[in-house]
Amino acid sequence: MPQIFIDGQPFEARTEQTVMQVADENGIYIPRLCWHPQLSIAGNCRICVVQIEGRSWVEISCNMPVSEGLRVLTDTELVRAHRKATMQFLTLNHPVDCGICDKAGECTLQDYHVAYNGEASISHEPKVVATKFYELSSRITLDNERCILCTRCVRFTREVSQSHALGVLDRGDHSVIRPAGGEGARPLEQDAYSDNIIDICPVGALLSRQFLYKERVWYLKATPSVCPGCARGCTIDIWHRRPEWALKSLDPRHNASISRVTPRDNPAVNGPWVCNKARDLAQLLERPRAHAPMTRGREVGLDAALAAARALIGKARHPVALVSSWASNEELQAFKAAFGARFTCFVKADHQPAEDEVVQDGLLIRADKNPNGDTARALFGDAAPTFAPDTDLVLVWGEGADFARLPRGVPVILLGAFLAPENGHAEVFFPLSVMTERRGHYTNFQGITSAFEACFAPAPGVVHAVQVFEKLALREAVTS
Amino acid sequence: MAKDARILMTFPVTATSHRLDEARARGQYTALEKALKTMTPTEIGKEVTASGLQGRGGAAFSAGRKWSVIQLDDGQPHYLCANADEGEPGTFKDRWILENSPHQLIESMVIAAYALQVRHAFVYMRGEFSGPYERLQGALDEAYAAGLVGERILGTDFSCDILIYRGAGSYVCGEASALITSIEGKRGYPRNRPPRLTVKGLYQRPTVINNVETLSNIAWIVNHGSAAFKAIGTPKAPGTRLISISGHIARPGVYEIEYGYSWKRLIYDDCGGMLEGARLKCVIPGGISTKVLTGEEVEGLNLDPAEVEAAGSSMGSGGMVAIAEGTCMVRLLQVLLRFYHHESCGQCTPCREGMGWMHRIIDRIVAGQGRLEDLDRMIQISRLQDGNTICGMGDAAGYAVIGILAKYRHEFEHWIKNGSSMFEGNLECRRSS
Repeated sequence: MPQIFIDGQPFEARTEQTVMQVADENGIYIPRLCWHPQLSIAGNCRICVVQIEGRSWVEISCNMPVSEGLRVLTDTELVRAHRKATMQFLTLNHPVDCGICDKAGECTLQDYHVAYNGEASISHEPKVVATKFYELSSRITLDNERCILCTRCVRFTREVSQSHALGVLDRGDHSVIRPAGGEGARPLEQDAYSDNIIDICPVGALLSRQFLYKERVWYLKATPSVCPGCARGCTIDIWHRRPEWALKSLDPRHNASISRVTPRDNPAVNGPWVCNKARDLAQLLERPRAHAPMTRGREVGLDAALAAARALIGKARHPVALVSSWASNEELQAFKAAFGARFTCFVKADHQPAEDEVVQDGLLIRADKNPNGDTARALFGDAAPTFAPDTDLVLVWGEGADFARLPRGVPVILLGAFLAPENGHAEVFFPLSVMTERRGHYTNFQGITSAFEACFAPAPGVVHAVQVFEKLALREAVTS
Repeated sequence: MAKDARILMTFPVTATSHRLDEARARGQYTALEKALKTMTPTEIGKEVTASGLQGRGGAAFSAGRKWSVIQLDDGQPHYLCANADEGEPGTFKDRWILENSPHQLIESMVIAAYALQVRHAFVYMRGEFSGPYERLQGALDEAYAAGLVGERILGTDFSCDILIYRGAGSYVCGEASALITSIEGKRGYPRNRPPRLTVKGLYQRPTVINNVETLSNIAWIVNHGSAAFKAIGTPKAPGTRLISISGHIARPGVYEIEYGYSWKRLIYDDCGGMLEGARLKCVIPGGISTKVLTGEEVEGLNLDPAEVEAAGSSMGSGGMVAIAEGTCMVRLLQVLLRFYHHESCGQCTPCREGMGWMHRIIDRIVAGQGRLEDLDRMIQISRLQDGNTICGMGDAAGYAVIGILAKYRHEFEHWIKNGSSMFEGNLECRRSS
């Protein structure tokens, strides 16, 4: 355990660590552009320079191994001069078009310009002209003028997603990031993790095409959440319009919709990455919603629907429930408490792998496309749904039930969030809230529980499943 | 002292002098036999260290010290690479060895491979070298056929293969770490140190990379002993040096000089003086990355690294460019900066951006749009690059800029003030009318 000194303070380090890592662990911030904790060391941006005490030159800290008694200084005059110079070099051919750049507001180059340079460019020369809007894939566009060639994206596709989709073409200040050819390289289009390069890009060179020019990030709020796309349950941030910046004139839906999804760094589950499915969560959660309770296709009030459901449950002798594996731990507990004894319960998969989807891989993606299947099965068993001949009521909670296989002529109570043809055929239908409208927990396949918070107020007319179960159970207790 | 010793250019070059039979007739491969049959690897290493042999690629690092980092019994494969990328403008000395004395290199490489316990050695050859490639490959075929390279060399237990890898035309691939990255089949980017290449080099194994000329001395050292080698040259820089001289000189070419040889004698006697009897304006001593020395500075100097260093420059790669009076230094710097801009690999920020920046500034000056502050700006850019790049190229370009601006600033100021050159933008040596 070598002891090293950073700015005079002693720190215990591990032999294999670099100065950058020790500083990071101990809350001393050394600027970095190319360095990323999950990627190999490139050492090309030269912003992380530090000075070893007694030396008259600077060295990069991201590639500096620790040694006993090493004394480094992170904020000397020489270090500041070199950082300032590096910022001058980096912005030399950078267009500084922050006004129209999606990265503005969360751009490392912007932050560092304020922190380490703060001066206008000392160059009078015209800037190097490079490609704008180079389509790397249907999801990502590349602005080569903004690119500072840190190669984080190249290293990500080689070391993490292993698609080897990107490389550097040409030399010098005309170098550009381009799709890589050759053996073993897959197009970025086929990289299920491609959107992570947008996050790790320290500038606005790699941009999400679905987010392009949609929002300024300072109007957005990040709400911690969990991706329901598979049993991994990656922790994510759901970005949506800040309530205090709510739009008043445009479609009010803008104030209650998902702008984008980014990973929330979580070493226990997903690290700093998520797959592209999480990025497309809006497509999953913002499908047309059901807004009103119904009995046999007729819109009714909630109380009328509750009364109808109570009546059905009350007279049923052998009711069966198909429990949702998208339900939160709280909802599953509430259902168990209310109806666990009354119903014969089976857990159903709300979602199956889509045709064009990666089913399972070695990085994050799991074959079970439901976030809470393990918890549901722990509570309700893992038997496949079967319907005894005397079944006289079926309660279907969530999506994915095969209605053709339900016993014919038996009344159905359906709870669902989205518009579906089955809603109108059910004896009673309750429109449920989606996960962005409530808080709760999912427990993933490793047994790790993560929380998600409410992003928006529930849509008008919808009801939380927990409320439905509690109200139905209250009456159940009274009548029995 | 005459300083006329020769180690490499010891025979008249003929149409067949590069062949194995003639090389053997000159005594080639006797050192190999001596090394493999009578010496241990450690003994050879000690002999090389004792000889004081320095790298001939430009950095003049002690070959023995580089070798001594390799742990012979560490159980890993080791690699040896001969750096034949020779890309420094004005440098073409290794080419002479590759074309005219390829067996000297092959023999020395096998000895070095034995001393470093290397099974596979590489020659990384400049892509444009097609003639030298054919010569070396031909010599290698001869050596393989004669059992001098390959399995069980000369009937001993030692086996070593030499592979020639041809570059694709990048200047930066002459830098040792970019060179091995290129051999590995990757983009020719230099690597960050640590780790040193002698610890983790080619394929992450201990690797020694020596210049072709450095390696070619090994056979001579083994044959004649380190004491004989030290007797040549100067105490701090033993041996001889191949100098490739070009520019405005009557007889450009490759000359072998003993360290400490008189500069004046090289230029005026051996090379026949300047073209058209012009006066010597300045000399780029060892590749364009070394600082220029004026004609007056060179006058009394000897080709001794210590003396050249005291004069503020270095002998570098041995690529000497003699420049005649009447040459425009602004245009010369423009040519150099165009080269550096073109060859910057673009990996690390200061060099990638700084080279283009300086190139654009000098282009603007030449176009008559310069400002006096541009000169200080170029020096500032050079200083900011210095020591903050992954490889030495950022530093090197800075030395060229600072060197020329320090001595010929008035020419730049003249161009900026008058919008034209002091010497009509001349880069050629013309007969004065």
